[in-house]
Amino acid sequence: METETAARVTEAQVWNALHQVIDPEIGCNIVDLGLVYHVAIAGSRVSVAMTLTTPGCPMHESIAQGVQNALLCLEDVDDVDVQIVWDPPWSPAMMTDRGRASVGIA
Amino acid sequence: MEVSSPRFAGPDRGTAGDGRRKAAPPLGAHAPSVSLPLRFVLTGLLALFLGVAGLVLRPELLATYHYNQHVVAVTHLFTLGFITSIIMGAMYQLVPVALETRLYSERLARWQFLFHFVGFVGMVGMFWTWNLKQVGHFGSVMAVGVGLFVYNIARTLRRVPRWNVIATAVASALGWLSLAVLAGLAVAAGKCTYEGAPQSAAAQSVAPVLAGLRATADFLSRFDPMSTMHAHAHLGGAGFFLLLIIGVSYKLVPMFTLSELRSERRARWSVALLNLGLAGSFFAILLRSPLKPLCALVVIAGLAVYGVEMRAILRARRRRALDWGLRYFLTAISLLGLLALLALVLSWPKLPLTAFTGQLENLYGFLALIGVVGLAILGMLYKILPFLVWYARYSREIGRGRVPALADLYSPRLQVAGYWTYLGGLAATSIAIVLGSTKLMPWGCGLLALSILFFAVNAGRMLSHLVRPKVEPLAFRMPVKPGANANPNVRPRFTSAGTGAASQTLLS
Repeated sequence: METETAARVTEAQVWNALHQVIDPEIGCNIVDLGLVYHVAIAGSRVSVAMTLTTPGCPMHESIAQGVQNALLCLEDVDDVDVQIVWDPPWSPAMMTDRGRASVGIA
Repeated sequence: MEVSSPRFAGPDRGTAGDGRRKAAPPLGAHAPSVSLPLRFVLTGLLALFLGVAGLVLRPELLATYHYNQHVVAVTHLFTLGFITSIIMGAMYQLVPVALETRLYSERLARWQFLFHFVGFVGMVGMFWTWNLKQVGHFGSVMAVGVGLFVYNIARTLRRVPRWNVIATAVASALGWLSLAVLAGLAVAAGKCTYEGAPQSAAAQSVAPVLAGLRATADFLSRFDPMSTMHAHAHLGGAGFFLLLIIGVSYKLVPMFTLSELRSERRARWSVALLNLGLAGSFFAILLRSPLKPLCALVVIAGLAVYGVEMRAILRARRRRALDWGLRYFLTAISLLGLLALLALVLSWPKLPLTAFTGQLENLYGFLALIGVVGLAILGMLYKILPFLVWYARYSREIGRGRVPALADLYSPRLQVAGYWTYLGGLAATSIAIVLGSTKLMPWGCGLLALSILFFAVNAGRMLSHLVRPKVEPLAFRMPVKPGANANPNVRPRFTSAGTGAASQTLLS
């Protein structure tokens, strides 16, 4: 998790916004689920590299759209690039303790 | 690194000079519009309720031998009205999603619904009055619909980027469905008489059709009518429904339990054995062959391999707690064990044809349709219906407002109550069928009706979100653009500028 350049929008704001996006099937936000791999900010443009719990997830487009919506709500963000990556594959080890506890994942 | 990269830009911003920016893909690129599957699902639920209500009001239907007009009518209400309607709607929604492709034609699917609805309603009505000529006519209308459905899904399957065992199972199920419909039409043709047909002027223009129907009737007269009916039922029930449940479960169970297919080879074997056993069983039933138990054993071997793979998938799951929708589904497929045992007994060539045997046949049909398929469908509906509603109402709101999760759309208590009442209803009705008891039957079917009522209330709760969505403000801690929320009634909270500390609290 890294930030490329100093920008008007901060990484903390981006992560905070990403917390607002849930995986509706699991009922947990995508940050606590460990789906977000990388955030990069270049001026008013934010790039997010993230995964999903399973390839072919029916919520694929909705979640990516949710990331777009949440980040475009930020005052200093004009452009959002969401990359869905499958390497490394997601596993529950990537979840925060809070996320794991909230969805009953061992 | 394998990457798929949807890139999004603000709505009013042009393309950048680097040429890499592109417009956001439309939502639902893989799935058709929600109204399409929803009309099938609601039709199916209505048919289920009417069917169970019919059994409560006419308890003698399952307490007597099944070869009579009313049982045949109610059976088709369940198989075509309830099960096939919901399966068709779900397939239009799930096949593109599960196989990561697009539905070939939504327009064809809308036309198919009309053919399907008119066809099955007419068939059930005509079976009830035992007007088999009209059954044939309405059956032909439904067959046109099935043709459109099979064509649409087959063209969708051709777009599948990576053919796999799920696609094979779905394709097999479509094949069995087509054969079941053809066999059903042939059975109806075989029960009609054609003596007066050539005398009418209208009949002359369709003489080739009549000749074909007469030839079909002559051909079917070589077989025992009960065997042809059972073979037809076998194609639909064991072929279409079973293959589809098994194929789809290889995708959905891993997806909902955060697991994965453990052995593609094992899964392929299960589908191959089932197809082989089902084909053999069809001919064995039709010809009253002594090889029936052998064919049943091949099917059971396929089910056993399926069971081993399902157990491995569940053991490897990362989501330990099984939600109740999945419990419905897994309980349903567990009942396949009991059903397989019953199938083996009923396939025994020396089995005496007593009234008790007839009741066991009723039990077999009841457990297959209402036990395995019905319970599996209700379980999957607890996944599909919230998904449809959520997708229609909240997929554009996510990230703009705080949207509910799928499980927030319905009452878990009603879901659990529905599970236990359904199982109670299945048990009581099964006992009533075996005993041929018209006194116990209404209690069992009443419990089933109560369970369906619970589901209906939950379905109403889910659907209410379409007209009264529940979107709450986001808990933003930083400045946002004016009017950034999609919902004009929802405004983000301005608490403070984003700080590392605030974020750390959220991330911890």
